[in-house]
Order: sequence, then structure tokens, then C-alpha cells
Amino acid sequence: MANRTVSDARNIHGTNPQYLLEKIIRSRIYESLYWKEDCFGLTVVSLIDKADQLTCIGGQYGNQKPTEFLCLTLKLLQLQPEKEIIIDFIRNEDSKYLRALGAFYFRLIGDSVEIYKYLEPLLYDFRKLRRRLPDGAYDIIHMDEFIDSLLRDERICDTILPRILKRQVLEENEELEPRVSFLEDELEQEALAAKEKEKSSTRSRSYSSVRKGLYRIYNI
Amino acid sequence: KESNIDINMVDDTDKPDDKEEYELWKLRELKRIKRDKEEREAKILEEEEIERRRNMTDAEILKEKEKEQNKKNKKTKYT
Repeated sequence: MANRTVSDARNIHGTNPQYLLEKIIRSRIYESLYWKEDCFGLTVVSLIDKADQLTCIGGQYGNQKPTEFLCLTLKLLQLQPEKEIIIDFIRNEDSKYLRALGAFYFRLIGDSVEIYKYLEPLLYDFRKLRRRLPDGAYDIIHMDEFIDSLLRDERICDTILPRILKRQVLEENEELEPRVSFLEDELEQEALAAKEKEKSSTRSRSYSSVRKGLYRIYNI
Repeated sequence: KESNIDINMVDDTDKPDDKEEYELWKLRELKRIKRDKEEREAKILEEEEIERRRNMTDAEILKEKEKEQNKKNKKTKYT
């Protein structure tokens, strides 16, 4: 049972959800200690605690061992929780690794419009994530960088991501509004404020020139 | 082959109201905005080019091709 998908799971992208991870990686996960010791009999609820305890994201490392992050992804693919639950994972503010896991999983199973809708807000999240590199070392990647590469790259954490429609295409089909970063708003406002300032400074300049004129006229 | 960088050597704690991190994020976000904008512009240019070629007669297209070929030949001459 432990390695089977739940019986009432729907097909994702036309296949058993577990097949979204490559066979070779899947079998390495089934063989891994973490899978056998910590993932056996997990439910969606107990998985949340596990995700909270994650210390890094990443694909395979060292002797092609899968990270715990990848193991939990496979577990999610197996359990296929409701979409709302995953969206709650993504929206939660407290646990960044739970959020990263939710985002990665959602990228695997979601459709294009939903992926943009739910993942793009995370581009504002600049918390640090530890990432395990293939040689076993760690580095830091920020949440927004991770999300950006989820939206654009083809291969992340040793996983081939399903194809996603380009944002431009979806915008042309009017399925998505163009994304406006709040930073752009801010910049615009700054520019406006700068202009305003310029205006007021010219006004004050003209005011002072008026005053000078008055001085001259009245000789004071 | 395995690296000996320990998990404790890489710190992933976030400070609340970290100005420095915010500035770095701002830079990344601006880069993304710029990249997206450039992609959009490139696409518009491409569409315009397609439209232009569509409106040309065969003779004009041939002429343009010849010109481009000449340019290429000139370039290769001196290299």
C-alpha cells in the first residue's frame, strides 16, 4: 500500500499523479530511509508537520539521494489532497518550507491560469530558503527566485515540470490580467511625487521672483 | 565528490524588517519587470515585422533578401 496512489485519485495531465516524478527518482524515493521511516502512513494533516520541519528544498544530492522535500512531494502526489488545502499551504505565512512545498506541488498539478494566479503573489515573499545542491552542499535561494523559476524554467529540483502556457498567451486570450507589481505602483508614485516636488519648487521659485519684483518696485 | 558544507554553515533565518533583504528583493523584482517588458516589446516587434513582410510583393522580398545576402558576404570578406 505504502507506494500506491490513493484509489480515488484523479489523473493529472492524463496520468497517475505519481508519474509526474520520473520513474528513476520515484524508485530512489521508495528506497530512501526518510520515505520508509517518516513518510509511511502519513496523512495530509501529519504531512504538514513534516513539511514544517523541512530544512531545505532541492532535488537529489550526493549519491543521488532524494531530498526530504522531494519525498514529501511524492507523498502529496500519492495522497492528492483537495486543491483548497494546497492553496492554504501556499497562503500560509508561518512556515516557508510548507509554502515552498505547496507551490512546487501546485506547479506540478495545477493548470496554467491557476498557477499564475496563486504563485505570482509569492513573488513578494523574499524569505530565505536553504537549497541542497547536487554535491550535497547548501546555498540560499529566496522564495521569489524559487517561484520565478517555477513559473519559467522547465526543470527544477531534478523534476521536469509539466508544460505551462506563457503568460503573454493567456493575456491575449483574456484569461489573465497583466501582472502589475506593486513595486511598479510604488515607482510611479515616487515619480509622481518627484514631479510634484519639482512643480512646487518651480512655484516657490516663481514666488520668490515675484517677491524680488515687488522689492524692486517698492524699493524695499 | 560530496561537499563538506554543513547545514549549519548556511543560515536561512529571516530577520523581521530586514532592510537589506528588502533592497535586494527590490532589485530582483525590478529585473523581472524589465525582463517581462523586454519580452513583450520583442514580441510586438516580431509581429510588426511579420505584418510588414506580409504586405510586401514578391519582388520586394527578393530585393531585401539580396541586400541581406550582400551584407553577409561583405562581412565574411574581411574576417
